[in-house]
Amino acid sequence: MMPLSQVYIGDQYRDTGWFGVFMTLLVAAFVLLNIRRARGGKDLYIRRIAGLNAIDEAIGRATEMGKPVLMVPGLSDTINAIAVQAVNIFAYVSRIAARFANPILLCCYNAAVYTYAQETIRDVYQSEGVADRYDPDSVRFVSDRQFAFAAGVSGLILREQTAATFFLGEFYAESLIFAETANSIGAIQVASSTETTQTPFFIAACDYVLIGDEFYAASAYLTRQPVLVGSLVGQDWSKLMIILMIILGTLFNTVQIQGKTTWERTKGVWSQIPERSVKQSDTFMSQLFKPQLEKVKVERPIDPNYVPEKGAGE
Amino acid sequence: MIPLLQAQAPATSFWSEAFNSSELWTKLIITLVVGLVVMVGLLYAPIRARKPIIAFFTFISGAYWVLLYLWPKPIDRQPGEMPLNTVETVSFWLADSNNVVVSFTQILTGFLLGLGIFSLLKIHLTKITKGHKDAFFSIVLLVSMGLMIWFGYADWFDRLGERGAMLDNRDNWGFTQYGRDFLFEGLLQQMDAAMFSVIAFYILSAAYRAFRVRSVEATILLSAALLVLLSLMGAVSFVWDENVKSIANGNPFILNFQLTEVAQWIRNTFQTSSIRGIQFGVGLGALAMGLRLWLSLEKPGSGS
Repeated sequence: MMPLSQVYIGDQYRDTGWFGVFMTLLVAAFVLLNIRRARGGKDLYIRRIAGLNAIDEAIGRATEMGKPVLMVPGLSDTINAIAVQAVNIFAYVSRIAARFANPILLCCYNAAVYTYAQETIRDVYQSEGVADRYDPDSVRFVSDRQFAFAAGVSGLILREQTAATFFLGEFYAESLIFAETANSIGAIQVASSTETTQTPFFIAACDYVLIGDEFYAASAYLTRQPVLVGSLVGQDWSKLMIILMIILGTLFNTVQIQGKTTWERTKGVWSQIPERSVKQSDTFMSQLFKPQLEKVKVERPIDPNYVPEKGAGE
Repeated sequence: MIPLLQAQAPATSFWSEAFNSSELWTKLIITLVVGLVVMVGLLYAPIRARKPIIAFFTFISGAYWVLLYLWPKPIDRQPGEMPLNTVETVSFWLADSNNVVVSFTQILTGFLLGLGIFSLLKIHLTKITKGHKDAFFSIVLLVSMGLMIWFGYADWFDRLGERGAMLDNRDNWGFTQYGRDFLFEGLLQQMDAAMFSVIAFYILSAAYRAFRVRSVEATILLSAALLVLLSLMGAVSFVWDENVKSIANGNPFILNFQLTEVAQWIRNTFQTSSIRGIQFGVGLGALAMGLRLWLSLEKPGSGS
């Protein structure tokens, strides 16, 4: 039975489990520290991102052609950080489009994202002083079924002959349907998917692709708001930390794996064994990232009112 | 598996009351009243006060998840067990609340789906009444939506009733069940499958464009793709590998040039590491974004 003092530790902190929590807190600290630095007036550098420079070019082209700009904030099941970020970028696109009286179409897969997008885009038009140009039907809910949504958006692209399309957010199998349909009518395309499996499809079919965290860097790049720029630099610090850990891990593993050992650690307990070559699971890095949890029994009183659910314990 | 994941909320926890009990009804009424008060309060709140109210609720909601992540989780918790101390009392309470808090999102989504349907109706009814050139498609959409809702609900009600268990057998089906089956399995699922299969042709056209030799990068991409494609063709990889083996004559270095080895090397060395690199970036971005949203540092539409 486990001593009472160890019950306080918490399941997620057992063995080397604390390391993951510590790293997450460290990343959060980096982000918050850099937001503070940026707010304090520190000039922070962001590298050039081609896909984001193309946004103005794409809207300009749509304005010249007098055709709409189509935006899709992905297929998030609920309103999450990815959908919010996509709508934030679309707010920038809509602002430029509003200035040039260019029609827009924003197609939503999720009703929650639809309401958020509608509010945000309406605010953009109001803040530009052109509230009369805002068409409430320009932000629309299409369907919350993947391929019904794909068919609906593809139909819109073909019927409206959009000049520029922006596919930013969570995309799955339908990504290529969108990209190829827009390509078939010659629309300029800027795309990004947080799903790594879909990024190659966008790279193959679209003009500009934001890869990985460039998607999250977009707001900072476009607006240079201190909070966003600071957050981006915090992410860069975190990436440097990860790179450092990869290098150290490679070195540690390379050195350790050459040697012999007479100790083995199983389920968090060290025991002496006959000499053998070091295995991958014996290395320091492996043990740091893979907590070995021994099975423990904690005896607790049973609730007198507890009624086991039917089938429980079978 | 971690025992916590298997744990069931005990029947007497704060988050679950017995069906139709007075405690359940009291909690439902209190929740409804609080919800309505918050909603009315937000509607009538001065515009300047809305931001701090939203920031407060966002912080409280986010704090729950942060607490759930950081607070020591109970070790070896079994159903029906009582906490040993204050730390465990909080962790039990947090773990039991998880399902309830998650269902808040579903309730909100349910309300918001109504707004989505309103948007669809508004756009397509306007098209129909104004005699838009694509009004026919709008009629098809609205009729399909109406039929699917009617047959879906009618079938659901039938299955809730006394005949529910009998409806698992197709012989007992009536008009409603055949209607739902035709619309859902016969039409919708088939059309979904048709849309999905279109992707195969799009892959071909996209790959053709992407793999044309236009630049050094495109050539490298083409070569790598060709090698991986060929390695998946059994006959080609067999002939290639056998030839390499005969030339190598046991030389381990030359054996590396077997097609399957080269393809595996491309996957393991380039593909996997690139994907992991991208995933690190995406994960960090999501964490930073979540942090900004939680602390209300991110303004709505801050991309503009």
